[in-house]
Amino acid sequence: MSKLRQALESGKFVITGEVGPPKGVDLGACLHHARELRDKVVAINVTDLQSAVMRIGSMVVCAKLVEQGLEPVYQLTCRDRNRLALQSDLLSAWAFGIKNVLCLTGDHPALGDHSDARPVYDLDSVQLLKAASTLNNGHDMAGHELEGKPDFFLGAVVTPAADPLEPQKIKMKKKIEAGARFFQTQAIYEPERFEKFMNQVQKLGVPVLAGMVLIKSPAMARFMNANVAGINVPDSIISEMEETRKEDRKKKSVEITARIIRQVKSLCQGVHIMPLGWDELVPDVIAEAELK
Amino acid sequence: MHATIQKDIEEIIGYFKAGEKVFIVGCDNCAAKCHSGGIPETQEMANRLQKRGINVIGWCVPQPPGVSLCKLSNTKKVLQEQYGDQIKEADSFLVLACGQGFHTVLDATEGAMVHPGCDTIFGGETVSDNFITEYCSLCGECIVDFAGGLCPVTLCAKSLLNGPCGGAKDGKCEVDRNRDCGWQLIYDRLRALGRLDQMEAYMPPKRYSKWSRPRSLTLGDGEATFSSLAGSHTVVNHD
Ligand code: SF4
Ligand code: SF4
Repeated sequence: MSKLRQALESGKFVITGEVGPPKGVDLGACLHHARELRDKVVAINVTDLQSAVMRIGSMVVCAKLVEQGLEPVYQLTCRDRNRLALQSDLLSAWAFGIKNVLCLTGDHPALGDHSDARPVYDLDSVQLLKAASTLNNGHDMAGHELEGKPDFFLGAVVTPAADPLEPQKIKMKKKIEAGARFFQTQAIYEPERFEKFMNQVQKLGVPVLAGMVLIKSPAMARFMNANVAGINVPDSIISEMEETRKEDRKKKSVEITARIIRQVKSLCQGVHIMPLGWDELVPDVIAEAELK
Repeated sequence: MHATIQKDIEEIIGYFKAGEKVFIVGCDNCAAKCHSGGIPETQEMANRLQKRGINVIGWCVPQPPGVSLCKLSNTKKVLQEQYGDQIKEADSFLVLACGQGFHTVLDATEGAMVHPGCDTIFGGETVSDNFITEYCSLCGECIVDFAGGLCPVTLCAKSLLNGPCGGAKDGKCEVDRNRDCGWQLIYDRLRALGRLDQMEAYMPPKRYSKWSRPRSLTLGDGEATFSSLAGSHTVVNHD
């Protein structure tokens, strides 16, 4: 059974991390980042051509993590594969020992570095979850029996600060009905808003890991506010960052993230930390958030 | 309607060999409404090409007024009966119409060399005389009823069927912040109609075999048959 599933089912507060595969074949730095998270997190998400930028695949990096005794969460998007490829990749992933899958729609190719690519979206994230559940039950989408079936622990994403929130909640419910057993959220910066969200979805009974993105600079926060849907970094946090000297910003970033985690940890079942390269800070965040 | 836009004049000139005798054909229906191949644009194209040294031997926009170029019987009749000599003399045809009209000229001239003068961009609603936009992608199996009549296949940049992605911001789509998120429109409409329950129901994956190409429609007495890779199916249009 997946360790992530075990941890969530045992009711432990769960921490997951994230690494992004590189553009190229040199996996050195990426695997180094992943190793830094060993024993600090239960599982490590591996992004799938994040932001629609062409890179080495998520599956191969997940397989390398398995080789090194780390537990991956295979992020799988609907952007680049039709239903044949999605199901086939899921079977391949299982053969590599990958047990957790995060089923995503995927950023549109127009936002990435191959903007003339044909978008696929043969399935959407709800249909992908359902397809993966069907594989778990020993059949493919066409109803044919599998020779040996996987047992994936399936997850999905939700955006607690979406406006309006209702469509997100409707879709979250559909994802659960399609087989999602855990959720990781878009980055949270407003604990009160997150609390309201959790009050509304707690009854669905599926664990939610609150997303944490380390803020590196005031410019990054402003950029996310302007460009990333469902992210609202409050002005107070931006000014805190502004008032901090450049050399102290890492420390400040740890302090802010740890503070948000302390504020939300009684509301949810875990946190998903996306360090975006500042992996060495994850242990400090965990310590300061008093998670261990 | 089939929306079209003229190709750049330099691209069009690039088609022709030295001395090639060109006959230009426009369309009095969609292309006329798109200002890409009506009577004024077709005549103007003849002038512009002549000015650039292209040997234009004639032009026409088949009539009666408002008729579609893609109606093969009419196009064939007009070209042969009214422009017979020019048709025989022409080395090639430049078509100012959509891809269907383009192929109609190929058929009407029994396989002559035909050059496309337009890009065919979408099938759209003529919202006003100067604005045409797309509400349907011609997918072959209409599923808009659950979405209050707004097509998620077309209005959502990812053609999602089970609700919005996480990319919408202030009601605008992640691919273009000036463009409405299709799912925001669907949600607003279903809420206004009091039918949000329709958004809660699981929508299965689309049957893309019905969107295979080329597809065809065969008409019989009181019936029609649609053929695609999903097979042929016949509908009787009366009791
Ligand atoms: S569901 Fe298909 S046929 Fe119906 S409006 Fe959308 S694209 Fe057109
Ligand atoms: S933002 Fe809206 S329209 Fe754009 S891809 Fe996402 S759901 Fe579709």
